[in-house]
Amino acid sequence: MKILTVCGLGQGTSLILKMNVESVLQSLGVSDADVEHTDVSSASSMNADYIITSNELAQNLEDHSAKIIIVNNYFDEDEIKQALETEFS
Amino acid sequence: MDIILWIAQNIFVTPAILLGLIVLVGLLLQKKGPSQVVSGTFKTIIGFLIINAGANVIVGSLNIFEPMWKEVFNLESSALGEFMGQEAFNNQFGSMVALAMTLGFLINVILARFTKAKYIYLTGHMMFWTTMIFAGILVNSVGTDVSFWGAVIFLAVILGIYWTVQPAVTQPIMRRITGNDNIALGHTSASVALLGALGGKLLGNKDNDSEKLQLPKNLEFLRDSNVITALTMIILFVIGAVVVTVKQTPGSQELMASAGEQNFIVYSIIQSFTFAAGIAVVLMGVRMFIGELVPAFKGIATKIVPGSKPALDVPILFPYAPNAVVLGFLGAFVGAMIWLVIIGNTVAYVFVPTMIVLFFHGAAAGVFGNATGGVRGALLGGFLTSTIVAWGQYFMVRSFIGNTIPDTAMWAADSDMFILGPIVSFLGQLFF
Repeated sequence: MKILTVCGLGQGTSLILKMNVESVLQSLGVSDADVEHTDVSSASSMNADYIITSNELAQNLEDHSAKIIIVNNYFDEDEIKQALETEFS
Repeated sequence: MDIILWIAQNIFVTPAILLGLIVLVGLLLQKKGPSQVVSGTFKTIIGFLIINAGANVIVGSLNIFEPMWKEVFNLESSALGEFMGQEAFNNQFGSMVALAMTLGFLINVILARFTKAKYIYLTGHMMFWTTMIFAGILVNSVGTDVSFWGAVIFLAVILGIYWTVQPAVTQPIMRRITGNDNIALGHTSASVALLGALGGKLLGNKDNDSEKLQLPKNLEFLRDSNVITALTMIILFVIGAVVVTVKQTPGSQELMASAGEQNFIVYSIIQSFTFAAGIAVVLMGVRMFIGELVPAFKGIATKIVPGSKPALDVPILFPYAPNAVVLGFLGAFVGAMIWLVIIGNTVAYVFVPTMIVLFFHGAAAGVFGNATGGVRGALLGGFLTSTIVAWGQYFMVRSFIGNTIPDTAMWAADSDMFILGPIVSFLGQLFF
């Protein structure tokens, strides 16, 4: 399973989101996920099962085949957990 | 002894391999599985090598941008001049940069462990660029024969202190913006953010909060850095190309000849996309190795410093004041255009306005300015950002980094580096 975490520049914030997503997935018992961080333009041409990003950037990725999961505060592990729980448990 | 020498000559001098080894150790320390260890190490090495490729693309485009605007302003036309450039600098000093960054981080962890400033700096790409630029300044001021380990320790100490003190200095206002004390700002825009807050306090109106404004939906594209970079460079390249086409001077004819059979304006538009493409390539390389390095760093830090707070990238501010982000960028963009003209006409320097810097640093100054001075504070913060970035780039390229990596300074150096650069240069001359 391939998951992309996406921010505008694809450098800092999406990396923190990636680390937080990995730790949440671990707590949910998901072990087969490959999480990668990237910028919004690259994400639109990359293959993935899930894309995790903010509400604003999600609009740019509407046509993507991946399922989009919205997280608005990338630093809030509780919000990430809530968003992922419905998909992965 | 021969083995050590062989390792030093073959592995240590190749920064990509050295960084790969650092990540390898980090991953092994965290007891990652074999597939993660192999892919993490390989991606680090590939990522670092990609940076050189992208840097050359950027320089190719700047080598047209600069003479074009010199022609527009009627300045003495000359290329960027004699300098090492990113690729040659990486080959000679890349290992110094990689080791200084790693040791600097360890000093940050130790300071966080034993002082009240419990901040761990985790904005990896800014750690890399700051180390790179400071290394460029040091080599520029003391010469290419600088002692390897002396330079590594000198840079690591400066960086370790900076990475610990910077989040502590911005934290009082961060607490006001985020409403808690859990995360800190770890970014080289601290100086302009604080200036924005000061300007907002003096000249702004706190009651006119930017978040009460309704911003048009059409500004959403500003969130994609590739798009804003290309767009702005197109505007600047086309203006430059039109002026050059209208002029009939020898300089302008020489420039137009470089396009060959192609129409000069079309050629210029392609150059602006090439510039954006070069930046995208470099950022991809940085992403590949920072993405492996930072989790390894974080694993080490959380083990050694319990209760530490992460110092993170500027976008952590965005959810708290999204309008101030756009206002800060607008202030910075307008300011950059004004300074482009003023600096071009006074000191004869062609300012390269890098949108990534203007956007993220303008955003930080905008959010900080809004916190103390509302809409006016946010716009003013943005304008102050462009002022520091434009004049900083001029002084940096002309005086502090001209022989080593002025090409990198034109697009990857920014606010705090411009403020601290002269100090690094001065201390370098003092110690070496």
